[in-house]
Amino acid sequence: MSRIIDTGLEELSVMLCRMGELTYETVSLSIKGCLNGTSVYSQVHEMSDALISMSDQAEDKTFELIARFQPVASDLRTIKSYMKIAYDFARYSRYALDISYINEQLGGLKECEEWITEYIEKMSEKVLNMVRTSIDALRSHSAQLAKTIAKTEEEVDKMYFEYLDKLIKKAPATSKCTISSVLVVRYLERIADHATYICESVIYLATGEKTTLR
Amino acid sequence: MSYKIEIQSLSAWFGSKQVLQDITMKIKENLVTAIIGPSGCGKTTLIRCLNRMHELTPRAKVTGRVLLDGEDIYSENVDPVTVRRRIGMVFQKPNPFPMMSIYDNTAAGLKLNGVADKHRLDGIVEKSLRAAHLWDEVKLELGKSGASLSGGQQQRLCIARALAIEPEVILMDEPTSALDPTAAAKIEQLIRILAENYTVVIVTHNMQQAARVSDFTAFLYLGKLVEYGLTKDIFENPKSELTEKYITGEFG
Amino acid sequence: MRSYSFRKLEDRMMISLAYAALIIALIPLISILVETVGRGLSAISFSLLLEEIPPLGQPGGGIGPAIQGTLIVVALASIMGIPIGVFSGIYLAEFRQSRFASVARFLNDVLTNVPSIALGIFGWTLIVVVIGWSVIAGAIALAIMMIPIVTRTTEEAIKLVPITIREAAIALGVPQWKTTLTVVLSSTKKGIATGILLAVARISGETAPLLLTILGSRFWFSGFTQPTAALPLAIFNFSQSPFRTADLPRAWGASLILIFIVLAINIIVRYITREKYG
Repeated sequence: MSRIIDTGLEELSVMLCRMGELTYETVSLSIKGCLNGTSVYSQVHEMSDALISMSDQAEDKTFELIARFQPVASDLRTIKSYMKIAYDFARYSRYALDISYINEQLGGLKECEEWITEYIEKMSEKVLNMVRTSIDALRSHSAQLAKTIAKTEEEVDKMYFEYLDKLIKKAPATSKCTISSVLVVRYLERIADHATYICESVIYLATGEKTTLR
Repeated sequence: MSYKIEIQSLSAWFGSKQVLQDITMKIKENLVTAIIGPSGCGKTTLIRCLNRMHELTPRAKVTGRVLLDGEDIYSENVDPVTVRRRIGMVFQKPNPFPMMSIYDNTAAGLKLNGVADKHRLDGIVEKSLRAAHLWDEVKLELGKSGASLSGGQQQRLCIARALAIEPEVILMDEPTSALDPTAAAKIEQLIRILAENYTVVIVTHNMQQAARVSDFTAFLYLGKLVEYGLTKDIFENPKSELTEKYITGEFG
Repeated sequence: MRSYSFRKLEDRMMISLAYAALIIALIPLISILVETVGRGLSAISFSLLLEEIPPLGQPGGGIGPAIQGTLIVVALASIMGIPIGVFSGIYLAEFRQSRFASVARFLNDVLTNVPSIALGIFGWTLIVVVIGWSVIAGAIALAIMMIPIVTRTTEEAIKLVPITIREAAIALGVPQWKTTLTVVLSSTKKGIATGILLAVARISGETAPLLLTILGSRFWFSGFTQPTAALPLAIFNFSQSPFRTADLPRAWGASLILIFIVLAINIIVRYITREKYG
């Protein structure tokens, strides 16, 4: 016989994994749209709304589990982490929406020089990898996998500051490009931060250790 | 999902003392409904009205209707004995028949009702003990006394005994109050599993237990139904201030 | 507060007191057994067990008809008394609240305390006068003695069965009467058997009602409507005999056999109703 709380934890975990997959799609879709200059705003908007309501549901579920099953030890850590992760996922989708909003309002990176789009594409690949890692680490509750994110996080951080330096040295032709590229890079960096938070939460739920990967 | 039991304006008395006042509630099929409330609030009386056990107490009286699948179990032409075969009951203290073996305890309901076919009995005994998650622990010693088992095992034996007559509803009157926490946890898990095939109504003075095992919770106070709803809602956001006070431990 | 040593002394004194009381209580019991076995054993022989009763003072003969008579009368009384007693007990236990039950319980208690000689007179007036001195008359008188004892002990035994056991059966959809006759009776058969034993032991030794009903006889059983012998009567007669050397040993022998019979019934009933699961 399994424990009564297990059913609820399982439900919550399935819910989060579904959120994870959807956030990955949302983030990658909005980045792609931005890089290619295609309009994906309404689609991303829909996905983002869905994710936010899923995040509310997940939060409700964690509350229910706490109220009904008096979780302790690993159960309690899991629930606490799941609640934080659900929020992080919601943030992913929020930044994805912001990125596609830039594309919608400022025309994205269309007016940017090639080196800029290339730079951003490279950075976004790294960020998407981080998102992937965070989802996989969550799915497998693997602290080991979660820890690997630290390196990429450092790289993304470095790229972010490096990009700002580069802009100061060599301004793009249009201010539209300047503004949108800076914002996109900034949002990508934020997404990377949340991927890192998720990995920290995974380490906490798996081992009980509170670590900082940044 | 449909309603298995509908309680309509049910009132109950012991002599001149009224213990239930005008209870109306519907119990859903294949879910667990918990009845909570402080001692003496009438929760045990309420479930004893559902299988017509209340009237066995001298000078007890019941008014109102209890519909089982739409039919009033208190109507004139209904034999309480047949009602009790459709609605099984598990009691507060494990009460296996002391002079009977594990096998005979499980088969007691059938045997006493005249089933003698050994082959059929064997099948039902195994099925019921498996359903009560006791089979693996006792299959090699079915001839041993039911009283020789541990408290938790005895209670699961009583559950198996209730399941053997193939009821549709199982009433449980504080089924874990005489058990240690580990044995109690097993019974709780079992209740969740039983809910897949049976409608379960459980009375408990342990609020956390109600929270853990039930889908719906009814809060009874001084013989009145104060609040009834999804367990999640009752424990997260009760509507009545009285419920809030009770579940947060302010009284009771 | 009193000192520890004083309390310890007090404690020891109470224990010694209880111990002494127990010894005093055991003295008559043991001496009866020792006396009866000592004196009775030497009187017992095959002829004592198997031969007809001689006239007082005569050598030879035995107490065969008395053994036979006691067994028959007690068996007959039990056949009549036990079912009536057990079912009355069930009634009193099941309907303990009813008015009729409380009246019946009171009457039953009165009956328990009716002196046995009064029952003898009752048997004599109602039966002996009609059909004459007979086995049946004796059995009825003894049955009347048994009934209140069996009724009371059955009722008490059933009341000791936890209500939860009864409810368990009723909740399984077992009708109430069946619950009582199966589950309840089987969980209390030891208690009921004890009551029956008490009653049987009690009537086996009764002399007074038998004097007035079966009369006594020196010969073997010759029909239910005829007088018969019985051990208590034989003991009474032999012990009152003027021929001490011939008859007193017979009285002791008959006593020993009576004790033995009661003991045997005791063991047999206990064996039959032993609890399968201790």
